[in-house]
Amino acid sequence: MASSSHALTPAEHSPVAGLAHDERGGISNPVLGMLLFITSEVMFFSGLFAAYFSVRASAPQWPPEEFSHTLQVLPLVGPATILLIASSFTCQFAVWAIRRDDRTAFLRNMAVTVALGVIFLVMQGLDYAQLGSEGLTLSSGTFGTTYYTLTGFHGAHVFGGVIMLSVVLYRGMAGQFSSRHHDAVEGASLYWHFVDVVWILLFSLLYLLPGK
Amino acid sequence: MSSTSMARPSRGSVTAVAIVVLLVVIGVAAVVLGFDLARAAQSFVDGLYPPRAVTAEGAQIRDLYTIVFLIAVAIFLIVEGLIIWTVIRYRRKPGDDTLPAQTHGNNLAETVWTVVPTLIVIFLFVVSWQTLNAVDTPAATPDTHIRAVAGQFQWQFDYLDNDGTTVLYTQNLATGEGGGMAVPAGRTVRLTLTSPDVIHAFYVPQFLFKRDVVPGRVNQFDFRVNEADAGQTFRGQCAELCGAGHRIMLFDVHAMTPTDFDAWLQERIQEQNATPPPRPSGEAGATVDISALNVAFEQAEVRVPAGAPFRIVFDNKDQGIPHNVAIHRDSPTGEELFQGEIFSGPDQREYEVPELDAGTYAFICTVHPNMTGTLLVE
Amino acid sequence: MATTALTPAASTYRSGLYAWLTTTDHKKIGIMYLINSFVFFFIGGLLVLAVRAELAQPGLQFVEDQFYNELFSMHATLMIFVFIIPILAGFANYVVPLQIGAPDMAFPRINALSFWMLPLGGGLLLLGFLTGGAAAAGWTSYPPLSEDRPLASVGSGQDLWIVGLVLIGTSSILGAINFLVTIFKMRAPGMTLFRMPILVWTVLVTSVLVLMATPVITSALIMLFIDRNYGGSFFDPRVGGDPVLYQNVFWFYSHPAVYVMILIAMGTVSEILPVFSRKPLFGYKAFVFATAGIGALGFSVWAHHMFTTGSVYLPFFSLMTFLIAVPTGVKMFNWIFTLWRGKLTLATPLLFALGFLSMFLIGGINGAFSAAVPVDFALHDTYWVVAHLHYVLFGGSVFGVMAGFYFYFPKMTGRMLNETVGKLQFVLMFIGFNLTFFPMHQLGLAGMPRRIADYSSAAGWNDLNLLATIGGFTIAVSMVPFLWNVFVSLRSGPIAGDDPWEGNTLEWATSSPPPPYNFDRLPEICSERPLFDLRHGRTHPAATMPDPGPAPQPTHSAG
Repeated sequence: MASSSHALTPAEHSPVAGLAHDERGGISNPVLGMLLFITSEVMFFSGLFAAYFSVRASAPQWPPEEFSHTLQVLPLVGPATILLIASSFTCQFAVWAIRRDDRTAFLRNMAVTVALGVIFLVMQGLDYAQLGSEGLTLSSGTFGTTYYTLTGFHGAHVFGGVIMLSVVLYRGMAGQFSSRHHDAVEGASLYWHFVDVVWILLFSLLYLLPGK
Repeated sequence: MSSTSMARPSRGSVTAVAIVVLLVVIGVAAVVLGFDLARAAQSFVDGLYPPRAVTAEGAQIRDLYTIVFLIAVAIFLIVEGLIIWTVIRYRRKPGDDTLPAQTHGNNLAETVWTVVPTLIVIFLFVVSWQTLNAVDTPAATPDTHIRAVAGQFQWQFDYLDNDGTTVLYTQNLATGEGGGMAVPAGRTVRLTLTSPDVIHAFYVPQFLFKRDVVPGRVNQFDFRVNEADAGQTFRGQCAELCGAGHRIMLFDVHAMTPTDFDAWLQERIQEQNATPPPRPSGEAGATVDISALNVAFEQAEVRVPAGAPFRIVFDNKDQGIPHNVAIHRDSPTGEELFQGEIFSGPDQREYEVPELDAGTYAFICTVHPNMTGTLLVE
Repeated sequence: MATTALTPAASTYRSGLYAWLTTTDHKKIGIMYLINSFVFFFIGGLLVLAVRAELAQPGLQFVEDQFYNELFSMHATLMIFVFIIPILAGFANYVVPLQIGAPDMAFPRINALSFWMLPLGGGLLLLGFLTGGAAAAGWTSYPPLSEDRPLASVGSGQDLWIVGLVLIGTSSILGAINFLVTIFKMRAPGMTLFRMPILVWTVLVTSVLVLMATPVITSALIMLFIDRNYGGSFFDPRVGGDPVLYQNVFWFYSHPAVYVMILIAMGTVSEILPVFSRKPLFGYKAFVFATAGIGALGFSVWAHHMFTTGSVYLPFFSLMTFLIAVPTGVKMFNWIFTLWRGKLTLATPLLFALGFLSMFLIGGINGAFSAAVPVDFALHDTYWVVAHLHYVLFGGSVFGVMAGFYFYFPKMTGRMLNETVGKLQFVLMFIGFNLTFFPMHQLGLAGMPRRIADYSSAAGWNDLNLLATIGGFTIAVSMVPFLWNVFVSLRSGPIAGDDPWEGNTLEWATSSPPPPYNFDRLPEICSERPLFDLRHGRTHPAATMPDPGPAPQPTHSAG
């Protein structure tokens, strides 16, 4: 490094670069940071899930009589789930694309992912409106409170994910990513997969598992 | 290679400072407190033990305490002694810059002080589990059933039939003359705990016992007061923060001999069921309506004529919450002139109030002193 | 004497207040954590002086019941969330990168964000006092008392409390992520995990606890907020909710939180004892495993705060609570045997560390009483618990913080604190502390419940309460020499030099205060005491430092 013939890069001007640094490799700092962050999010949802299980176990009837047929997989929630799962696929395609420097495929797949995320949110919103008109609200006893809290916080996380992916998309369009430098893409995609897994769990619990 | 910039405290300065400060503090304390230091020392040591237990369960808890206490004192003396000894014995001598032996550890020592404490705590766990089973196992057939209802901020005691549900008599006053929870000594009492509002806790220090009162849940426990303690009164207090009135939620427990208790309960039941005296004729008087909802009076101001007895028709609309109407002179903290019977809603009572002179009075709820209104007598 | 010949601190292009407000340097951020935490320590202390003034004698002399409830609720909330947890994070922030030979934390800007969320969160907590009443349902805020209904917690104070804590919790979580990535990924070459200073290990375990537990209380707070503001039914039994559910979720965090409140202080003590006994820490590996064991076991005991609810499987939680005493005891013995056969210098840091050992011993012992469930039936929610928690959190953590403060002040500022004044502070604080909290054992046994504004003279609690109040004000007085010491020493204390204590670890291998990126060169690392090794010639000859010579890289910042 000392006798290089090229102009010194910003890294080499840095007083830090002179220090021997960790060459062990492995996952990068931002990706490790995102994994840890996801761990904390898992614990947050665990608290909400624990409340849900506790409330459900001690209820005399679940769903309560008045809401026994309110939650329906069709026409909105089931298709929205399929779209969200599909968006995880497109997100991963984007990651694989940038890993092999295929910027075009990366941008295309990332744009589709963002679009699918937005559509999921819109469908969720429509579903909320439908449920509201059927009388299910946050104050509809334990059933309504837990339903909206769980799906609402999941939706908030989807929204955050859409923002994150949009920033990644924007930076990608500005040419900031390459096969050697795309930590933000890796991190954002890990978060997006997490959001998807949480939804699969939620959807199964709320819609597929029979009550008592 | 030893450093010269390491701080060298002078032992003299340390000791001098410490002694002066100590003397000053003790001196000030003694002057301010102005009490007998010997008596204080005695009660200090006595106070490290819980009070004498007056129930069979409490006695077992006290025995467990003894075991834990002895082990605790032993451990403290050994370990603190080690610390003090080490500090005194291994002071660095001034000018000595050599290093002591650089011992990194000792696996045998680690094993010993892992295994021995594990054995000690397992012993403590087993002993406390045994005591727990003895104390907390419900009796097969309790002799007496009482339900304590904890509200904000008053206790109410319902004496129940043997089925544990029919209310024979409700004691609305938790302390004072004619108040408190009477219990038969020498008999097993099953106490169930309910609350219509927030979490409270039933605590009697001389039982060495407490149990939370959780709304939406029924907790219960059994206890048996020692026969020898019949005739005594024990103080109790709510032990779970329940709002602004937490500290006033006191109650008395009166232990009676079984015969006295049976007689007492019969008297109370008869009094409660007695037909109310006929309304005095010719004294129709004025009637005023007062109602309570959501722990507040619905009327801010009521009027009655002066110079004649009058009637308050009081409607308590709060499910499960005790209220009453009490009249005070001038303001809620003024002299109490009348106190109506406390009862839980939803229910109504009529209070016959003797005549009042013209003026401004306050009416409050004895249970919830923040509930106030103005009574204008004119 | 281990000095390092480094280039002088590079000048920065920002200066004064602006530099501090916009810094991402872990050292400045660490110092700001300390300052902010001490400010809230004093506020929390003032709140409790009012409590103690009221309790000195029977009768309500100074405050009303509702305001009294606000006083102790906010005292505890501030002390836990805006004093002790952040101040330990602040020490960690300052020391960890230095101890592992890193130039800064992994995510410096997130580090700054974590800090600035604290004064904001603390401000929100206090705002309740100005908007009709601060939170008054205890720092535990059990529903239904914390729900929005008459005679409970109407008004915005409780909501501000929730929002403030969510903010502060987020700050903590981001900090934990930062510490973990820094520790795992930015250690200097040769520093394997088992050569890290013990303080770094305690930061590691603490960060895992923060990462895993804090989000759970966030969920409890959010559920309470929904109950209060959106007609939710989580905890209100009137609409099908369960108050005990809140307690379970709350304590699932708040028990591991108590280890968050002390482990780093233990790490600091573990750095100080070896330096002032001139021997290594006894049983380094045992210490690491004990710390990890406490962290893991800490997740299994939460319901020991709920023994009297009638909703808990008592034997399991009692057993786990007893078991957690074992690794704690291992640490205690390792500390004592670090001192054993050493050559002790009784400087102020060591005095506070010894105070820590003695007071934490008492706190651990009186906690064991409550692990015995039937005894807990007598002691729960009485002043015994107040005694226990203060012996571990004040006698333990705060004494540990003071030890760390006296130890690291020279490194942070380049100046030594005055030893005599430090000793005066120690003596006053030690006496005041024991005078305040030891009588609370007797008070609890005699039946005095917690959280009451007043008591009857007939109960016989007068003398002990007065004693405790005198002790409390003595602690307040001990803050005078402390503040005097800090401000005078900042201005005119003796110059500290790189290594005033003959330290063992890397932070003492750079100037006091260190330059912006901490190190120009690092010694070789072959053990957990790299500086000790260097000082005593135990490193590989090729890596000794005394003569730095010309820099091989053309990249030194010239200022």
